[in-house]
Amino acid sequence: MANDKELVSKVLILDGSVEHFEKIKQFCDQNGLIGLKVNVTNVLSIMSTNVDLGAILLAENYCGSFHDSMELAMQIHSARPELPIMLRMESYSVDDLPAWSNHIFCAIYRIENLEPLRKAVEDYIFTLFYPSVLVRGINEITTSALSSQFKHLKVSNQIPYIVKDKIIFGEVFSLIPLESNWCRGYMMLQAEEQEILNIYENDDLWSQDHTISFRTVNNILSEVTNLIWGGFKSRFISDDGHRMAYYSQVPIVINHAHKYISFGSENPQLCFKYQLIDESRNHVIYMDQRFIFNLNWSPDDFKEIQASVDDLVDTGELELF
Amino acid sequence: MAKILIVDDSATVRDEVGGFLKKNGLDIITAVDGKDGLIKLKADPGIKLVVSDVNMPNMDGLTMIEKIRGELGNNSVSVIMLTTESSQSMKERGKAAGVKGWIVKPFKGESVLETFKKLSA
Repeated sequence: MANDKELVSKVLILDGSVEHFEKIKQFCDQNGLIGLKVNVTNVLSIMSTNVDLGAILLAENYCGSFHDSMELAMQIHSARPELPIMLRMESYSVDDLPAWSNHIFCAIYRIENLEPLRKAVEDYIFTLFYPSVLVRGINEITTSALSSQFKHLKVSNQIPYIVKDKIIFGEVFSLIPLESNWCRGYMMLQAEEQEILNIYENDDLWSQDHTISFRTVNNILSEVTNLIWGGFKSRFISDDGHRMAYYSQVPIVINHAHKYISFGSENPQLCFKYQLIDESRNHVIYMDQRFIFNLNWSPDDFKEIQASVDDLVDTGELELF
Repeated sequence: MAKILIVDDSATVRDEVGGFLKKNGLDIITAVDGKDGLIKLKADPGIKLVVSDVNMPNMDGLTMIEKIRGELGNNSVSVIMLTTESSQSMKERGKAAGVKGWIVKPFKGESVLETFKKLSA
């Protein structure tokens, strides 16, 4: 559910119709959608970039022929299965759709009746209600946190938006759990490493006293995350709320470019390496398992629960009470 | 000279706060979490003020303060929390452990410098 258009979502409009352009644009404006038009030859390359999308609006004749448009729908679905595709039909009918397309299109509509499209936008894009106070509050907290860490930069933001894709932006990101009696989840902050490095490299005063490396970016991102987390907790999670309001958290920072992950602690991690052996092909797959007890590790209080050891049963066995 | 122990898992904060206090003539030691803070405090009786974050890996700031008062039996060192936390229950827990002050981040050095100087004198 959208809330008074304070949230928007970007949709890719794969529809070349000049005749219906105005009506589709009007629909987008009225329903919190920002339509992005692309050339047919660029669609698949757009799919592989970091464009945050909420859905795809595809016309049956976008690629020239119905068959080619269906082919494109299948390719889009393979590349980004999380993105809902909404199909506009004109000359063809639902009966003409190939059987495999059933699970690809979340809505089928005609330009004379946009109600199925409107319903799909509500059902597939604006599915959660985000209170305006929360959206505005997050914005204020984050702006303040960024301003405190990037003192000589001006911070502004675009209209908050909803995405359905699962694309990571940039090389480095942080994660921190958000837990209360009204929410459980994570906040993620993503950035491009070099862009932030440039800020510090160009700051003569700062670079005189510090060695600048990718760790600088990780540290800054971690501190901004921490500041936002604290602000969020103070403003939206009451003391008498969830027990997690009293628990500590530290940001997890992941930097893909350097194959780096930090849980905030320098503690050695307990690791296991498993092999999955395919003897028929003489092939081995490895899996790494790590235990990271970054927030608390008190082995003196450790004990194995004896009942579970004594009463070990084969998995799959029926246990009658 | 009396020393200030800054306990924060964030290198950015240790740099920022430590750098500011150093520039203003104060002697600084840093620790990366509550456990490290306890070790540093135990090893250096010259530390008169601890400025600590709450949320840190291994041992959080409030647990560290409780251990300073309890396990180390050190009731003389002044403690100020510098944290993103502003919940009343956290502050109550801090007060009960003998925390002298609570600063909600971000750190604004000029406004607290005099207090830091007094507490570390």
